[in-house]
Amino acid sequence: MKKSALTLMAGTMLAAAALAENPHAGHDAHAHHTPMHAEPATHGHSLFHLDAEWLTDRGESFRLDDLAGKPTVITMIYGSCTTACPVLVNDARRIDRAVPEAIRDDLQVVIVSFDPARDTPERMADYAESFEVDAERWHFLHGDPADIRTLAAMLGVRYRDNGDGSFDHSNLITLLDADGRVARRSEGLARPVGPIVEKLVGLRASALADSAAH
Amino acid sequence: MRTLLILLTLSLPTAAPADDNGIVFIDGGDWELPIVREVATGSGRVDDFLLDARQVTNAEFLDFVRAHPEWRRDRAPGIFRDARYLSHWPQADALGESNARPDRPVTRVSWFAARAYCRELGGRLPSMTEWEYASERQRQSVGTSPEDYARELFSWYANPGAGSLRSVAEGEAPGLGIHGLHGLVLEWVEDFQLVLGRGDDIDLLTGSCGDTARFLPEFDEAHYATFLRFQSRSNYQPDTTTSTLGFRCAYDPE
Repeated sequence: MKKSALTLMAGTMLAAAALAENPHAGHDAHAHHTPMHAEPATHGHSLFHLDAEWLTDRGESFRLDDLAGKPTVITMIYGSCTTACPVLVNDARRIDRAVPEAIRDDLQVVIVSFDPARDTPERMADYAESFEVDAERWHFLHGDPADIRTLAAMLGVRYRDNGDGSFDHSNLITLLDADGRVARRSEGLARPVGPIVEKLVGLRASALADSAAH
Repeated sequence: MRTLLILLTLSLPTAAPADDNGIVFIDGGDWELPIVREVATGSGRVDDFLLDARQVTNAEFLDFVRAHPEWRRDRAPGIFRDARYLSHWPQADALGESNARPDRPVTRVSWFAARAYCRELGGRLPSMTEWEYASERQRQSVGTSPEDYARELFSWYANPGAGSLRSVAEGEAPGLGIHGLHGLVLEWVEDFQLVLGRGDDIDLLTGSCGDTARFLPEFDEAHYATFLRFQSRSNYQPDTTTSTLGFRCAYDPE
C-alpha cells in the first residue's frame, strides 16, 4: 500500500516536471501497452442476441447461441500479441483447471480474435494447439470485423487497431451463464481465479436446484 | 457576424454537390485528429470514403424498422438499446409531430441500431477519424473561421435545440455538399469508445484544465470546441439513446 502510494506520488511528480516543459508531455508519461479500461457491460441481457456467424479453429461455423445451456468463459485477444494476450488465455485455462470436474465437463471457453486479417482459422488452430487445451470445449473464433466490434461492445471490451499489427485493448475475462448473460467479469491480468470459479459453482448449484424442482 | 457568415456561405460555389443518392465522395489525405491521444503523434492517412450528405431521417429509419421488426422499440432486445429507444415516436411503427416528423433526423437510436441500419444499406458508420476529417474539410470548404465555428458549437452545446429539431436538409448543402454536420444533432461513429488511446487513466469527463490541455494540440477556441465533441462521445454506452444523437452512414468506394 505504502509502496504504491509512493509510486503514485513519484509518477505525479514526474508528470508535473514533464508538464512544466511541455503541456502535452503528461500524455507521454504513460508507457506503451497501458490497457484500455473496460466499459461497463449490460447485465441481465443475453449475448445470444448477437446474430453473427463465426469460424472456429477447427474451421467450423459457430454461433454464440451454440453455447446455450452451458456456462462460458469468454475473452478477446489477438494472436500476434506476445504480452497481455497469452496471459489472458492462460487465465482462462487457470479457471478451466480450477473448477470441479463435473462443472468442467460443461464449461465452454471462447477466445475471440480482434485481428481477422492475421488470425485465420488455420493460425488460430496453431495458437490453440500451443495452449494444449480441450479442443471439444475451447473455441478460438475468427469473425467479421463488424461482428467483432459488436461483440466487444456487448462485453465492454475496448480495442483499437494501431495499424502496425498491434492492438490496444481491455484485458477482460467474462463469465456467461447458460443463457448467455454476463454472470461475472474479471478485469486485469493474472487475477485470482476464485471469484469466477465460485460463481461457476453457484450457477451449477442453482441449475441443479432448478432441475430438481421441475 | 452571423449574417456575414451566411452571406459568405451562399456566395461560395458548391464544391461537390451530392449525387442523386445523397452521398458525397470525400477524398482522403494525410491528416491528424484534432486531439492528442497518442504517445507518438503524427499525421495518418485517411482513405477515400463516401458519406451520406445528410443525417438519417425518421422516415428512413421507420422504413428500416418495418422491414426489420426486430428493431422495433417494443421488440429490440434490451442489450441493443436503452429504455428510451425511439420513445419520441407516438407508436412503435408510426411517426408524428415535432421531432417525430418524417424529415427530422432520427434520434434516440443506439449505436447498435445505427450500425444495423447502415449495414443493411451496404454501408457502415463512419470512423471517428473519417467523421472529424469530413468535419474539418467541410469547415474549410465553407470558409467558416475557427472563431465562428467555436462560437456556433458552444452555442449549440448551450442549447442543443432538441425541443424542436430542424429538417435534415434545408436549402442547398453548403461546402462539400453536406448538410448538418454541425449544429443539428451529434452523430454516432463506429469507434466512439476510442476517445483515448494509450494511457487513458485520465478522467475525460471532469474536463479539468490539466486533463483537457493534454488532449489539445493547439490552445485555441476551435480546438476546445472540438474537444467538447470528443467529451460527449466518451460519455456514451453502445446502448445509449438521446434526443440529440443521430447518425449518418459511410461507404467504401467500389
